[in-house]
Formats: sequence, C-alpha cells, structure tokens
Amino acid sequence: MMNLSKKRRLQENLGSYMFLVPWLIGFFLLTLYPMGYSLYLSFTRFNIRTPPQWIGLNNYLVMFKGTETLSRDERFLNSMWVTFRFVFISVPVKLVFALVVAMLMNKKLRLIGLYRALYYIPTLLGGSVAIAVLWRRLFASDGLLNMILHTIFGLTNLPAWISNPTYALYTLILLAVWQFGSPMIIFLAGLQQIPREYYEASAVDGAGPIRQFFAITLPSLSPIIFFNFVMQMISAFQSFTQAFIVSGGSGGPLDSTMFYSLYLYIKGFGFSEMGYASAMAWVLLIIIAVLTAISFKSSGTLVSYGSGE
Amino acid sequence: MKKTMMVLALITLGALVLFGAGTKETKAADSDVTTIRWAYWGSGQRVEISQKAIDIYQSRHPNIRVNPEVSGGAGDHFVKVDTQLAGGNGPDIIQVGGNIPDYADVLLDFFPHAGKEINLSVIDPSAIDSGTIAGRLVGISTGVNMPALVYNKSLVERIGAPLPKTAMSYAEFKEYLRVLKGKLPAGIYPMQDIGVLSSNSTPFGYWSRYNGTPLYDAATMSTDVRPADGQRYLELFAEYRREGLVPPADIAAGYAENNADTSMVIAGKAVIGFLWTNMLSGYQAATTDELAFIELPGAAETNALWQPPSQFYAVNKDSKNIAETVKFIDFLVNDPEAAFVLGSDRGTPASSTARAAGSASPADQKVIDYMNVAGPHSSAETDHVPNDTEFNSTLYLIYQRVAFGQITPAQGGQQIYELLLRMIGK
Amino acid sequence: MNRKQTDLAKRLVLNLFIIALALGMLYPILWLLGASFKPSNRIFTEVSIWPSVATLDNYREGWRGIGIVGFDTFFKNSFVICILSALANAIFCSLTAFAFARLKFKGKNLWFALMMITLMLPSHVTTIPRYIMFRRMGWINTFLPIVVPKFFATDAFFIFLLVQFIRGLPRDIDESATIDGCSKFGIYTRIIMPLTVPALITTLLFSFLWTWDDFFNQLLYLTSPNKYTVPMGLRLFLDSSGMSSWGPMFAMSVLSLIPAFILFFSLQKYFVRGIATTGIKG
Repeated sequence: MMNLSKKRRLQENLGSYMFLVPWLIGFFLLTLYPMGYSLYLSFTRFNIRTPPQWIGLNNYLVMFKGTETLSRDERFLNSMWVTFRFVFISVPVKLVFALVVAMLMNKKLRLIGLYRALYYIPTLLGGSVAIAVLWRRLFASDGLLNMILHTIFGLTNLPAWISNPTYALYTLILLAVWQFGSPMIIFLAGLQQIPREYYEASAVDGAGPIRQFFAITLPSLSPIIFFNFVMQMISAFQSFTQAFIVSGGSGGPLDSTMFYSLYLYIKGFGFSEMGYASAMAWVLLIIIAVLTAISFKSSGTLVSYGSGE
Repeated sequence: MKKTMMVLALITLGALVLFGAGTKETKAADSDVTTIRWAYWGSGQRVEISQKAIDIYQSRHPNIRVNPEVSGGAGDHFVKVDTQLAGGNGPDIIQVGGNIPDYADVLLDFFPHAGKEINLSVIDPSAIDSGTIAGRLVGISTGVNMPALVYNKSLVERIGAPLPKTAMSYAEFKEYLRVLKGKLPAGIYPMQDIGVLSSNSTPFGYWSRYNGTPLYDAATMSTDVRPADGQRYLELFAEYRREGLVPPADIAAGYAENNADTSMVIAGKAVIGFLWTNMLSGYQAATTDELAFIELPGAAETNALWQPPSQFYAVNKDSKNIAETVKFIDFLVNDPEAAFVLGSDRGTPASSTARAAGSASPADQKVIDYMNVAGPHSSAETDHVPNDTEFNSTLYLIYQRVAFGQITPAQGGQQIYELLLRMIGK
Repeated sequence: MNRKQTDLAKRLVLNLFIIALALGMLYPILWLLGASFKPSNRIFTEVSIWPSVATLDNYREGWRGIGIVGFDTFFKNSFVICILSALANAIFCSLTAFAFARLKFKGKNLWFALMMITLMLPSHVTTIPRYIMFRRMGWINTFLPIVVPKFFATDAFFIFLLVQFIRGLPRDIDESATIDGCSKFGIYTRIIMPLTVPALITTLLFSFLWTWDDFFNQLLYLTSPNKYTVPMGLRLFLDSSGMSSWGPMFAMSVLSLIPAFILFFSLQKYFVRGIATTGIKG
C-alpha cells in the first residue's frame, strides 16, 4: 500500500515537473549564473577593464557607514530616499487611475475602442527620447504648464518645475502616472473574467453600482489588483529609463531625480565601479524581496481567489 | 486546440532554428579576407562620411573589410565597448575621447609601428603629445577642437546691441554682458550659466589655466588648484547671477547644454553660451539665426586656451589584426582623400597631409577663422584629471549646490579641492 | 426631460469628459506629430504645435536611416525579434504558470519564490556576466541572446500574471475534466488556455511592446548595422556632439509608434470580449 501511493506521488510530481522544465532550464542556465556572478562582483572592486579584486564587505560598508579611507556615500542614501518617495507616491496614484479608467472603458460606448487606444498611447511612448523633449516642453520655466497658469490664472513667479530640485521629482511621478496604460489593460482583462451573471443577479436583488463595486468587482478583481500592486512596486523600485532621459543622465538638478537604478548605472558604467554597482543591486533586491514577502503574507486576508484556495 | 498548439510551437521553434542559422555569422568562408571592427559614436552625417572613407579604403584593398559598429551617443558607445572588453570581445578600433587615460592599459602603443604601418612624422607634435600617456602613444588624434563661446549674431543685431569683440578681458566681458542686459527683454539672458554643462571640468579647467594654477599634472600626480581658486570661480558666477547676467539656477538647469535641443542659445533664451568648435555646424543647422564665435575672456593675455584633440583613434591591445588596423588608421588620419570626405566632423585635422586636402562648408570656415585667432592664444593642454567621468559629475553637483544656495562659494571651493584630491588618489 | 433624453445627455457628458481627458493626455503626442512635419531648425525655436512651414523631408530623410542601412531593415529586424519573443512568451510562460497555479509538486513554493526573485535584481548588473555567457556560445551579433531566453520563460512578469489569472478560475472545472479522463496537458490546452485568453493576449501585446523598446540589450548584442532595430536607429539620430537630426528622428519616432498602435487596436477586442464567462455554466 505504502509503495503504491509513494509511486503515484512520484508520478504526480514528475508529471507536474514536466511543465516546469523550460523554466527550470532557463533558471539554471540563463539566470542563476549571471545572478551568482553579480553577487560575487558585489564583494569586489571591478572597473570592467581589469579583472575584479576581492575587497570583502567594503562596498556595503561605504554605502551605509563609510570606511577609514572613504566617507559614507551620501549620494547613495539620497538615491534611496528619492526612490522611496517615487514608489510610494506614484504606485498608488497610478493604480487608482488605472482602475478607474479601466472601469470607464469597460462600458459599451461608441468609439470605445478608439478611446482605449488613446489612453494607451502615452504608455506606447515609453522611454523614447521624444518623451524627454516633450516633458521639458511642458514643465520648463517657459513651458506649457506655466504659460497656462500665467495666462489663465494670472500666476507669476512660477518655478521651472523640471529643473527645480524641489519639484523635479514630481514631474517624473506625473510621467509615471501618465503612463498608466499597462495596469489599465490588465485591469480590463481582469474585469472580463467576472461573470456578468453576478452583476445581473445582484441587480435583481436591488444592488446599486456602488454596492456592486464593493461586493462583486473588488473581491473578484483582488488577485489582479494584488498582481498590479506587486509588479508596479517592483518595477517602480527599478525605475530607470524615464529618469535617465528626462534628466539627461545626470539625475539632476542637485540629484533630485537620481533614482536608485540611475545611480547604480552611473556608478557601474559611468564611474567604472561595477563592484559597487553590483552591491547596490543586491541591496535593492533584498529590500524589494522583503516588501514583496510582506505583501504576499498580508494578501491572505485581502485577496480572494475564485477557486476557493 | 491541442493540435494547433503543437503546430504553433513547432513553427516558432522552426523559425528560431532558421533564424539562428541564418543570422549566425558564417565563419569567414574566405579566410584571406581580414575584417576590422571599428567602433565609434555618431549619427547621420558622420556615419555617411565614415562609410565613404571605408568604401574608398575597401576599393583600394579588396582583402580588407571594415565593419562599423556605430552607437548614437558617446554614452552608449562606452557602455557597449566596456561590456565587450569585459567579455574579451573588444572591437579593433576603439574611438575614445578625453577619457583616454582610463583606457590606456588596454590600448596598443603606436610608437613601435611608426614609419612602418603608420606615418607619424606628418602629424602635429602637440597632437602626438596629447595621445601619449606614460611614454606610450595610445591614441591618434582625429583632429583638433577648441573651446569657445558662441553667440547669436542675429539676436544681437535685432536688439540693436553692438557685436562683441572676439578677444576680451574679463572686465570688458562683464561690461558687455551688462550692455546686453540693458537691451534684452525679460526672459532672455545675456549668457547661459556655464556651470550647467555636464562636463563642468572644461570651464573650470579654463579658469584654472587663466589663473595659472592648472588642474592636474600627470608627472607629479598633483593639482595646483587650492580651495580659494574654486571659491573665486563660484563667486564669479554668483555675481553674474545676482546681476541677472546669467539666469537663476532653476531656469539655467532646464537646459542641459549637451546638444542643440538642450541649448539655451538655440532656444533663443540666451545670447551667449559655451560651445566646442566642431559642434558649430550641428548647432547652426538647428536654428535660422546666425551663430558666431568669440573667445573665452582673458585668453589673449594668458594664452589659457588649448587645442585638445577632438577624439582619438585607438587600437585594442588584444586585436587580432593589429598591422591591418594600424594601416587603416594611417589612412583615416593622413590620406588626403579620406581627409576630404571626413572633413572637420571629428575636429580639424592634425596631420599636414590631411589639411592639404582642404574642406567645404561655411560653418567649417567659421571654425577655421576662430582657430586662426584663438590658436595663438593657446598653450599646451593640461593633463586630464583621472576618473574623468566621476570628476565631471561631482563637480557639476558641487556647482549646482552653490547655484541653488545650498552651500556658500567658500564651502564649494573646499569641496572642489577635496574632490580633486580624491579623484587623483583613486 | 424624458428618460431617453436624460440617458442621451448622460452619455454625451461621459463622452465629452473622456475625450477632454484624452486630449489632455495626448498633447505631448500631438506635439511630436507636429514636430515631425517641421524643418529641423524650427522644431525648438517655434512654440506652437502647428508647423509654420510643413515639410515631408523629415520622413524622407529619416527613412534612409544612416545611409548604409535604412529603416526598412530596422523595422524588419524589430518585427522578427518581437514576434518571436511574443509567441515564445505566450506559450512557455503559460505552461509554467499552469504548473504553479494548478499542479501539485514538491518544492512548489520554493521555485515560485525563486521565480519572483529573478524579477527583483536590477538588470544592469547581470549585463556583463550574460554578455560573457552569450559570447562563449558564439551568439554575439545575432538575435539569439534576445529571443532564446523567452523560450525558457525567463520573463517572470508574465508567469506571475498568468498565475494570478488562472488562480481566479474555479477549480471544479479541472476536477470534472480529470474525472472525464483528461490528462494534465489536456486540461492545460482545452480548459485553462481558452479561459485565460485575455491574459494571453495581454502577454502577447506587452511582450511585443517591451521587446520592441528593449534598447539596451539590442545595443549590446547587435553589432552590425544591418541587424539594428528601430530603437537603435532612432538613437543614431542623436549624436552627442551636437550634430543631431531632430526632424528625421521625430518622424521615425512617429512611424515607430504605428505598429504598436495597430497591434493594440486589433488585439483589444480580445481583452474586452466576454470569452472568459463561457463554459463556466454547467
């Protein structure tokens, strides 16, 4: 008896693992080696042109405390602060927009196909250089926003939003929110999986749109909301391209748009300190992993899977 | 459903195999063709003329193929080259710029090839000097470039101000800025704030030379600059800012000044800005106003200007085709036909045989005219501070802190001094 | 006002609101479009969107690319890479997602956690080791380093996406199919896949778009100009020494948006059709 069920479990496992084979191959051959190597690099000094030199925990020390030869890296800490602000402001705002617009787009209006495409266009522009030019057009001291604020509202002495250390980050947050197309599409797809019968049944029971939202839409959509939240958070922490092109690669003015990944890139490829950059990458990974784990743990109560898991 | 899935999977796998096979570089079937990889940065015009030069060379030498590996900007170029070098797969010809000291260890020494694959005798000695590091000639200058101030001639005429003199002292220069300010409408400034240049070491380097305290001496690995020098530099611009001769910090920072699209002069918001001479034709093409050059102030008295090489042709030490690669560089730098098609795109040629070929456009003529005046007002180039990229980036940060009022010029001067020491010691 | 009129009024207001917001979002794109028709020396000096002097030169010149290779080649290369990547992702990420979402096996949680972790490491630091690896395989200057990883489900984003979608489907359909004698693979192909079409289409669309925009990897691995892709072609218009061709660059940027736009437009009915609801009843 014991032998048979063990055999079946083995067969069960094997059968399941078959599905996983492509991913496993990819993980071991294509992902594990580069990740492992980058971990090794984080304990070295590596200027790319000569072989890496082992320096132990030195990189990590410089980041947080400083060593006898080098003082603490203030620009590193600043980049963390900039990135945290970016993540915790842009992600919620972006998700709210994405959800609201997705629900709007879910209706049967004429030309709805066109509208959806229009709202997705900003995301299509992605990280193209054209974005940097456009954003400057809008938020420079003599840009469109100031022109509007001045001529319509009569405001004067307006700051140069995009090149002012106090406001520059917010123009990037706005850029991130403006490109809410991707989570919106995912929400749209998710809204489709909710059987129309639920709404019809509840309407018969006299439920209004608000009740329906909280009783049907939100719970059914919760796996997708969770997905979007986690993914947006992970990618916001790694945000690079927009900051790179809008600030011209400088993270300025005054490092106010020096995102963590941008500083990492500059340290690695600009200053040829690839070891330090690798250490930064692993610190970020740990931070993201912890936050994601917390999200998963707390999702138990908030997320309901239709399959009754 | 299952069947369609299988078919789909098979198709994609098949396409992959086909493409894998088709795109894999077939190992040189003709083993007597030598291929040279030339990595450079540039776009549009530069790519076309470089290709023309390649075509000329290939028609003369049918057993040589030159494959250009172009990246749009210097940034992309170096990221790619660095990664390739780390992977043991560096190109044969590596274009480098002011950061040549950082690459000296991986580059070939040209001196042993002099008189054989490459003719060094017709190249200006100063050009040879600038490519020599620790006694090894690791880069051949592609041509000369000079720092300059560019001004919008049409705008000056429009506001009825006098045209600036090409050579002025600092006092005269300030006076001129004040004259301009008097005539300019609000929102347009006499000069862009030079400190927003991401390669801040250039104007600061000029200032140090003007004061007689050059930034760096490779022989002694030291700097003559002291905190007080940095302080005076920062105060000079703070004063300009106070009088409204340059824009306030946040407006200035809105123009990164690394290209025509981020230029305050091109945008019509400033009359005078900083420009390297070989960028003139690109800038002129971006505006309908006429642009012209003046010297940086005080150059005439102190010969503080310099004629750095615009870029260098360098060879990867581990290249598999050293002789052929060096010969190709000899062609690019010395051959009159090559010089004619390449023009002054990578700088005005430093080789006498190349210069004899002459050149074409009116913008190029302005550059030559400027160099005729500014050339005599120059002296040997200062050695580049090591860790060029980091030096520029941090100097820029310090300048901005002062500009935005976060620290005083005195503190800024101190930080600049410490930065120099740190970069040298790294 | 009768019922029909209030309905119409409501619809009108809704439409107007959506259009107004869309226009606000679109201003930057309209500027881009306008700039593509302006001569290069007026793009940054003129303030208004509308060209004072309109020209098609930017498109003509831009299409020629960098002289030795034109945008016809760039577009072809981009299409090949993106279509292969999108198809590979859709197939192999869904296979993997099915395993994580529906199958039982030892070590599932560990593998899932590891998969999530692969998302969290900034990609710049794996650049050099990956380059070394691909170089040893002789894949430099081919499309392989960009496309092949997709055949091994290395884009964990889509795995996670599909997992979440599949988990939202009721388990009893699986069970009834198993009782009917369906194999695991059969459940995958006949039951789960049809029901996750919106998510699959999303995978196809995003794979295509993100591969299209993946400038960095294209820059590193494609060294011959005849293999360059559209983003690389666009970057080639911007020379850091000031010799930029802004007009042609904007013109080609506009063209570069068109395939993405068309793809989105034609695929969008798949994530708004109520396909998912069929088959759940009974």
